[in-house]
Amino acid sequence: MKKTTFTQRTIIALVLALALVIFPFIVSSPVTRNLMILIFLYAGLAQAWNIVGGFAGQVSLGNAIFFAAGGYTSTVLLQHATVSPWLGAIAGALLAMILALIVGWPVFRLGGHYFAIATIAIGEIALALMANWEAVGGARGLTIPFVRDGSGRPGDTWFWFQFNQNKLPYYFIALALMIILAGLTAWLDRNKPGFYFRAIKNDQDAARSLGVNVLRYKLLAFVLSAAFTALLGTFYAQYLLFIDPESMLALRLSILIALIAILGGVGTVWGPILGSFVLIPVGELSRAHLGGSGRAVDLIIYGALIVLISVFQPAGLMGLGRRLRGR
Amino acid sequence: MALLEIQGLTKTFGGLTAIDDLSFRVEEGEILGLIGPNGAGKTTVFNCVSGFYEPTRGRLHFAGHDITGWAPHRICRLDMARTFQIVRTFSDLSVLENVMVGAFSRTGNRAQAERAARHVLGLTGLAAKAGVRGGSLTIADKKRLEMARALATKPRLLMLDEVMAGLNPTERQAAVELVRQVRAEGITILMVEHVMEVIMPISDRIVVLNYGRKIAEGRPETIARDDQVIAAYLGKKYRSRR
Repeated sequence: MKKTTFTQRTIIALVLALALVIFPFIVSSPVTRNLMILIFLYAGLAQAWNIVGGFAGQVSLGNAIFFAAGGYTSTVLLQHATVSPWLGAIAGALLAMILALIVGWPVFRLGGHYFAIATIAIGEIALALMANWEAVGGARGLTIPFVRDGSGRPGDTWFWFQFNQNKLPYYFIALALMIILAGLTAWLDRNKPGFYFRAIKNDQDAARSLGVNVLRYKLLAFVLSAAFTALLGTFYAQYLLFIDPESMLALRLSILIALIAILGGVGTVWGPILGSFVLIPVGELSRAHLGGSGRAVDLIIYGALIVLISVFQPAGLMGLGRRLRGR
Repeated sequence: MALLEIQGLTKTFGGLTAIDDLSFRVEEGEILGLIGPNGAGKTTVFNCVSGFYEPTRGRLHFAGHDITGWAPHRICRLDMARTFQIVRTFSDLSVLENVMVGAFSRTGNRAQAERAARHVLGLTGLAAKAGVRGGSLTIADKKRLEMARALATKPRLLMLDEVMAGLNPTERQAAVELVRQVRAEGITILMVEHVMEVIMPISDRIVVLNYGRKIAEGRPETIARDDQVIAAYLGKKYRSRR
């Protein structure tokens, strides 16, 4: 029985993926396109978070540091060493993985709550550090100059990862990243690492007694999460062509990433995607309609959502769907 | 050579001595029962042997290795498995998935792990409940699941911590039957138990603990008549009743 459902789910996934691929050709408004790109980006960030936070149950509230590691590494390498952002992305991911190991090694030995607090602390330290590090832009941030074509206009270049005339490639790259992460999550869900992550989340000591090297697998989850978050950081840098500590390292970003996954349903494959499709439009709408006070209001909404989810529906939207279907 | 050898094990927690200079062996293929009044230190012995506590003094040898101070997951890799006194089911995982976690200690392949898990589910009578969420099982089934999960790691030594507690007589019968089946598969069993009617008939040998010390060791019939054992359980007053 379960096999049929798995095939059914894969087919649904492929159909939806196809729909998303066709979408930009049907709806070509730049505003919508931008919204979709943001949805894909945050879905990706939430999926990456889900590996360590949802599956392994280690709540990280500092994933923004990996986002920044990716964005800053590729940008700095681009500006100072004229390295293509694609290579910069890999360098960023490697840096993020090392950071994850350095942070995780001591902190994972502490209980889950301490891990969350430690990640908040590290995030705040990173923010303060980057805001004062003038060599990499400090609080003013870094701007990536346009790559100009023959006539001097900002052009489209795959090598330098910039698409200024036709922004469509950004859409497809973001979509591809989201789909890759969904595929990875689905693979984890069905195979040994995912089983071990979930065992650790449910009962660490029982997992140990069954031969699970708990520290090693927590680190694995964290490293995977960090690497993909960093890749998305490079994407973000090349999409906006501007990065600064506030946009990449703020605590609210780390919280938002976690919230999207939690809203959608932790530890599920679809949850983070669902969460992003719901939360990001809400965030953008509130920002647009409430003008300058938009930023504070979306924080209030996030807070309220955290409370509501925790109290009424800890399993998130995915859990709600299951309940409605009467399972 | 004995499969498990405990030499001079001592475990203190601050000022409290939970285990005091305990030594005994478990021979391959036998069922050894570990009994004693509440607080005698039985579960502490398990925790020391399985790597959850670090012994204060003494040495532990298993399958020819000195495992003193080893981490639990490493000991499991050496073919020792245990259950917990208060069941630790993976609540969010299904019965099958619970057992698969155990099976994955032997293989990285999902299909193989699933096959091995289903085999164990069949042996332990849980096949019908394979898809049920671990958290919603009855206590008897949770205990059964815990055994199945431990068995999936293909241990040479299985340590059972009060598997009979909380079971009604019918459930107990089934559990005893299961323990016998496990031994028939060639697995050595070290079991802690309170329920005398169960552990006496099933064990080849018994070790009795009181206040962290071994007060008797031998065949069940001998133990049942031992003065010190009777005194430990029933009080000195009953010692002279025979």
